[in-house]
Amino acid sequence: MKRLLPFVFLLTLLSLFGCKRQIAYELNEEDIYPIDAQKGKLKTEGQYLAILHANLFQQALSANKVIELEDIIFGFGDKDLIHEVIISNLMNKQNVQLPSDSAMHADPEQFMLDTYERFLIRRPSEAELTWFINYINNHPNVTTELVYFAFALSNEYLYY
Amino acid sequence: MAAAGAIAAPYILPSGRLFAASGQQMAKHVVYVLFAGGVRQQESVLQRYLEDAQNKPGLAGNIMYNILNGDPPTQKIAYGTDPQQGTKGSLPIPRLLNDTIENMGMLLPEMRATSAGHYAGLNTLVTGNTATTQGLKQKPVFPTIFEYTRRHLGIPATKSWFVCNTLLNSYPLLNYSEHENYGASYGANLLVPNVVFGSRGEEHLSNAKVYHPEEQIAPMYEMKQFLDNTFKSSGSGLIEYGITNTEEERNDIKEFIKATFEKKRLGQIPFPPVTDNGDLSNIGYAIELMRWFKPTLTVINLSNVDGCHSNFTGYLRALHRADHGVAHLWKEIQNIPEMKDNTIMIMIPECGRNSDPNPILDENDWYAFDHSDQNSLRIFGAMVGPGVPAGLKLGSESNPVGNIQDGVLTVADILGFKDSVINTGMVNGVAMSWFDRI
Repeated sequence: MKRLLPFVFLLTLLSLFGCKRQIAYELNEEDIYPIDAQKGKLKTEGQYLAILHANLFQQALSANKVIELEDIIFGFGDKDLIHEVIISNLMNKQNVQLPSDSAMHADPEQFMLDTYERFLIRRPSEAELTWFINYINNHPNVTTELVYFAFALSNEYLYY
Repeated sequence: MAAAGAIAAPYILPSGRLFAASGQQMAKHVVYVLFAGGVRQQESVLQRYLEDAQNKPGLAGNIMYNILNGDPPTQKIAYGTDPQQGTKGSLPIPRLLNDTIENMGMLLPEMRATSAGHYAGLNTLVTGNTATTQGLKQKPVFPTIFEYTRRHLGIPATKSWFVCNTLLNSYPLLNYSEHENYGASYGANLLVPNVVFGSRGEEHLSNAKVYHPEEQIAPMYEMKQFLDNTFKSSGSGLIEYGITNTEEERNDIKEFIKATFEKKRLGQIPFPPVTDNGDLSNIGYAIELMRWFKPTLTVINLSNVDGCHSNFTGYLRALHRADHGVAHLWKEIQNIPEMKDNTIMIMIPECGRNSDPNPILDENDWYAFDHSDQNSLRIFGAMVGPGVPAGLKLGSESNPVGNIQDGVLTVADILGFKDSVINTGMVNGVAMSWFDRI
């Protein structure tokens, strides 16, 4: 009986630490960005300004500055117009984070994919992507700044 | 009455509908001053200075001597500017006009307001009605004079401006109503110049980049247009987002903003000779705006008088300055060639103030006044310009004539579309044009 004890011990070890069947679900990595807008909620002016600043500068805007900018927007009738002037002012600051124009013209597809994700938190449809690629290719003077400006001023950007 | 102007031609309106302006225009421009933030009859039209309010016999006098006839007080002067040495406020601001507005135009010395509150009063001044459902922090329920003007004259947004002195108390909401047949499509451009051109504007607007209209702005708008169209086609349509201007108007407004910052830097804004409060700087920017756009309708809000809740001396100073500001405004209008002799200016307070004071004493131990009693419903009105009978006084303390609702129909009458406004049925039944009250 004593001679059987090592075997019993070995069998116990095997039963505890033996091979287990691996479960593989085999899911592909997928982006969760929606392809269409599906946005129905209007951002508050404060949200719009904070997100705009983060998109342009990759930095948060202080609460005081958000309030100052909100005041300006509330103090002007044509909101779209005053947004444009605010964006023009931001674009004149030194540390605005813009990709280079040469990179955009070298690979407009990647630039547009990045821009849609950055501003609109989604992937462009094929039609949208094609339109923008053609537009950039046909307009060599278009800059990344103007593309960013258009996105920041778009109606969709007002929503989340 | 010598009514200047011709029969207004029909216009194609933004809606695409054709309206004919229904009457003769007496003037091409109206400047409508929402006067000042709760003005007691006693210190304005009745010229009692400290006599009634502070029970100081013999201390009566007129501190609004550009608007009203009457001699100023001779003692206890506290409403003026501060001398380098001596009593604070003891230097009255020199009179600006050669003649008073009362003499040059007409005065309704005893009118009636419908509410003792600011926002309700201002609402009535711009809508000609009083809605029982009207809330604070809510756009007017009834259409405003801006919307009537734009819709019935078919004018663009840059011809209709609301120049508001503050962001407080919901005042900036008054530039258009939430009425389904009017609304933002016919609203006025709003400007709060003390904010837009103040320190906040300096930091966030004054350094705006200037883009080339064809080479930069045009492609930017083209891309924006594409984005907007795809957003719209996704079914996520944009809700009404305030008033809009045409591209041409937008460029004009951007030029105006840039030029105004530059003029401010150079000290060229036409501020009144004494500009030491927000009402007066508001008037300076309003004049600059009128020089640029020559609006058909400019509504200017003043409200510094409202300090009367806790500071009677400050109230007197603000009232004296409101008179100074309005005089400067009228004077400067005569220096704008397109508006000179073709502008009628109207002023009406949104409410009065109480008969009895509250217990708050100011630096001079003078009592302050709120607005909630019958005396708060006593207001006055004045009008000056071509076609306005000079020296006419309608009504008296014992015979009130005119209501706060009259302002809208009076403006509509001047601009030639009074009947169209009456036919909407949305102006209160007691309202009358002042020209019809003569």
